[in-house]
Amino acid sequence: MVSVEIVKRYPSFALDVRWEAEGAVVGLFGPSGAGKTLTLQCLAGLITPDAGRIVVDERVFLDTAAGVNLPPQARRVGYVFQGYALFPHLSVAENVAYGLRDRPRAARARRVAEVLERLGLAGLERRYPRELSGGQRQRVALGRALAIDPALLLLDEPLSALDAPLRRALRDELREVLAGWGTAAVVVTHDFTEAYRLADRIVVYEDGRVIQAAPRAELLWRPASEAVARIMGLTNVLHGTVQKATPERIQLRWRGQTLEAVNSPTRSYLPPPDSPIAFFVRPEYVRLVRKDRGAPDPLHHMNLMRGLVVGEADFGTVWSLRLRLDAPGPPAQGDFDLEVEVPHLVYEILEISRDRVWEFSIHRGSIHVLPS
Amino acid sequence: MDLFPLWLSLRVALSATALTLVLGIPVALLLARARFAGRGLLEAVVVLPLVLPPTVLGYYLLVVIGSHGPIGRALAAVGLELAFTWWAAVLAASIGSVALLIKSAQAGFETVDRQLEQAARTLGRSEWSVFWSVTLPLAWRAVLAGAVLAFCRALGEFGITLMVAGNIPGRTQTLPLAIYDRVQAAQMDEAHALALIAVGIVVVLVFGLSRVARLRY
Repeated sequence: MVSVEIVKRYPSFALDVRWEAEGAVVGLFGPSGAGKTLTLQCLAGLITPDAGRIVVDERVFLDTAAGVNLPPQARRVGYVFQGYALFPHLSVAENVAYGLRDRPRAARARRVAEVLERLGLAGLERRYPRELSGGQRQRVALGRALAIDPALLLLDEPLSALDAPLRRALRDELREVLAGWGTAAVVVTHDFTEAYRLADRIVVYEDGRVIQAAPRAELLWRPASEAVARIMGLTNVLHGTVQKATPERIQLRWRGQTLEAVNSPTRSYLPPPDSPIAFFVRPEYVRLVRKDRGAPDPLHHMNLMRGLVVGEADFGTVWSLRLRLDAPGPPAQGDFDLEVEVPHLVYEILEISRDRVWEFSIHRGSIHVLPS
Repeated sequence: MDLFPLWLSLRVALSATALTLVLGIPVALLLARARFAGRGLLEAVVVLPLVLPPTVLGYYLLVVIGSHGPIGRALAAVGLELAFTWWAAVLAASIGSVALLIKSAQAGFETVDRQLEQAARTLGRSEWSVFWSVTLPLAWRAVLAGAVLAFCRALGEFGITLMVAGNIPGRTQTLPLAIYDRVQAAQMDEAHALALIAVGIVVVLVFGLSRVARLRY
């Protein structure tokens, strides 16, 4: 159980966040400069907030109201720094043993051997950090932090120091390590895929504030606001006007079309008619209507529209198409209205490179309304 | 040839280097790490001995430690005397050379990634332990370079020493003062011999330092 309440003001930036998490792995996700790393530093005791309260497993790290502020030495948190901050003058074994100075020599050696074994670093004991690969360095940094049996493990952009091909492999490896050691952890990242892969619960940061905290699946499918959707990097974040809202459905007008979206009963978002409304459509959920199958079936194809392909990009296994609606007025996103993703195979079968005008549909469950 | 000035100078320079290490390292660490009001002032005070005329420094030092000065009187009260003893020469050499040590050590400490020290703190180590296990091991070459420069400077210290320790043969006459004395007395061969010894010591030290600088940690 981690409970965080921090206020820290700087001349040009203010951090004011509050979140809680029960066990497992928490992801702090948001753009650079949103205050994620600063939160980690406050958790570790390296920076003292102006006001706040930090409790980890019923141990009070900080309570400015009660005058409690444990120094970093007394908090027992494992901190994996961005870039790892391994001691360059110490060997792998000495790095891992660094936090174990209080233990008797034999116990220390046992613990180091155990940690290195579990992280697949056995045999590298006498190497120095400069002699290790990026992935090995990451594991040494993890090992050094985990060796002290931390109450909480903090990871700051743990994969950003690695090359792209290695990143994916190590992301999965890191997830296994976190699950395997069962230590509660807080992971900072600006990459949503990374946050989703590593964390069970994701706290979204923007400009020193928390704009959503939710289990990862909820965040993925129901971002709480347009700001969250944009930070997640979602494409097709659009603006329309409400026609009618019921707990089950929301009807909205957009680009001369009437669209029907599923309302979330748990959220019971009921904006009044004629109010502006933001929504997003995942590009892979827009369906092109096949021309060789006769007239589209209205049960199968709802929210039917027609548009022109005005741009396309080949991403190897998928094609990304930019469609402009057959409707008056300026397009919603510059020179196009919707980004649509089709598998490469579909692109070839439908001969999209030759045929530029298409009817397409969006299931009402794939139009995600963003409460304002 | 009387080699007393050589032995005295080595003794004075070694003592002065030890003193500058003990006093200079905390100041260097403070300047490299802490942000505080008056930091700029401290930095200016540190380089002052390098830029002020040595005789001016010596004069003020004499005012303080001389028999009428505040420290001089306090020492006299317990039966001690500082001015015109070899301890005064140590003090003079320390003041003349401490800036070299501080600037070099400060530059060394500044190159140590603060994140390494923070990592050490999260791993439970006290500030004292962080310094000895991380900061110093990563900056020791710069500290050593500063100490060697300070030693060489202390070995050659002339102006301040002359003012506060005098030029008493067999008691406070250091190597540079002895060379000056021999030249005044037109004993050019002895002056040359002593000068060659000074050059030899410094060349060996500086060359040794350049070898050490190539070592890793």
